[in-house]
Amino acid sequence: MFEFLDRFMPGILESLLPRASEFAIQIDVLFDVIAILVGFWFILVLGYFFYLVFRYRHREGQKAEYVTGETHKQKQAIEIPHFLILACDIVIIIPTFVVWYNVKIDVPQPDEEVRIVAQQWAWTFYHAGEDEILGTDDDVVSINELHVKENTKYTYHLESRDVMHSFSVPVFRLKQDAVPGRVITGHFKPILTGEWDIQCAEMCGVAHGIMGARIFIKSEAEHKEWLAANSPIKSGGSLLAATNEDEITELKEDKNNG
Amino acid sequence: MAVLAILAIATLAPNAHADARGEQLYRNCTICHGPDARGIPLQLAPALSNLSEKYIVEQLKKYKSGIRGAHEKDIAGLRMLPMSQTMLTEEDMQAVASHIVSLGSSPIEPTLEGGDPVKGKTLYATCLACHGPDGKGNDLLNAPSLIHQHDWYQLTQLKNFKDGIRGGNPQDITGAQMMPMAMMLGDEQGMKDVIAYIQTLSK
Repeated sequence: MFEFLDRFMPGILESLLPRASEFAIQIDVLFDVIAILVGFWFILVLGYFFYLVFRYRHREGQKAEYVTGETHKQKQAIEIPHFLILACDIVIIIPTFVVWYNVKIDVPQPDEEVRIVAQQWAWTFYHAGEDEILGTDDDVVSINELHVKENTKYTYHLESRDVMHSFSVPVFRLKQDAVPGRVITGHFKPILTGEWDIQCAEMCGVAHGIMGARIFIKSEAEHKEWLAANSPIKSGGSLLAATNEDEITELKEDKNNG
Repeated sequence: MAVLAILAIATLAPNAHADARGEQLYRNCTICHGPDARGIPLQLAPALSNLSEKYIVEQLKKYKSGIRGAHEKDIAGLRMLPMSQTMLTEEDMQAVASHIVSLGSSPIEPTLEGGDPVKGKTLYATCLACHGPDGKGNDLLNAPSLIHQHDWYQLTQLKNFKDGIRGGNPQDITGAQMMPMAMMLGDEQGMKDVIAYIQTLSK
């Protein structure tokens, strides 16, 4: 449905940033629908307003008329646009529910998992090692670098060590709050290879503005190469150390709830 | 006389400029380290005013290049990691370090309990070679001053060194020197003892 609708949309966001996740197109279409409808009313109402200001401008000897707005015809000037805007709201709200369900509620069975820990003011990413199981000794841990492979369904488990943060990947059109004491699960599927920004989108303290990270989306072969090069088992654990699952088990596992 | 005045201005002016720059840059640091650079325990931030210019600059460089503070378990170090990015050049680091040193240091109230300074004095024999008998450190050996520092911070750092959280990066040559030293302190009690002794040097 979204692919079909996308053909008629201006693609405002895509002109600024490519779509690197599978659900990015849905967010983009929704953004365009809202921008078009709101933009249409914005221009119409302002245009009409300026027309009225010009049409009924001050003239010598002409007194202004006081309109009480009590007759049916006068009320229609409010009622008709009111119902038209309500109709537009329905056009917005139906795809909103669909997109919300697809992005936030319906977490598909993952091919890979990644654990994301936010803290003031850094991101720690735990990648499953060559055994493709998260929470084992060969997990690759990196600071401010998320490495994922193309065309793979990921489930992420997002945590915060201190205050609220928000895991925002603009190129994925993904934004998810991290709440201390909870593990929030969500999903994404990268569809482009490349390197883009990750940012914190929730005011979290003095260095919130520079709490950035990078996402590296690679082909399966390149990703495997990276995992092998950084495996804590082979290198003996240096910059990227082996993971420890001690704290996470105590946290309440919580499905994504926005 | 006029020549002397001109010479004096010529030599002092760049310093005055650096001081102003250092003061301006240090404003970013005050949120955690405090306006007097005595550190704020709630922010996990140590005192800085006891450190030397060289040591401060070296640590800023390490943070900026991800050699220090880039370990997943180094909670406080990870906070410092982005802040170090606010220092754009080495001149900036130098300016902020000289401003911090100009603030002057003073003793800090101990918070740890159960440390035995008498036992600690024996253990300190190992530290003495680099940090000096007075604990004031030695820039030539890249050893920072240990006096006028928060005891909880010293305990955390000793544990970090022991666990490879600090000094474990292969590029952290001076940090790696400290790792085996921390290993020599068998347990937490040993660490507390030696810190209790360092606290007596601070008075």
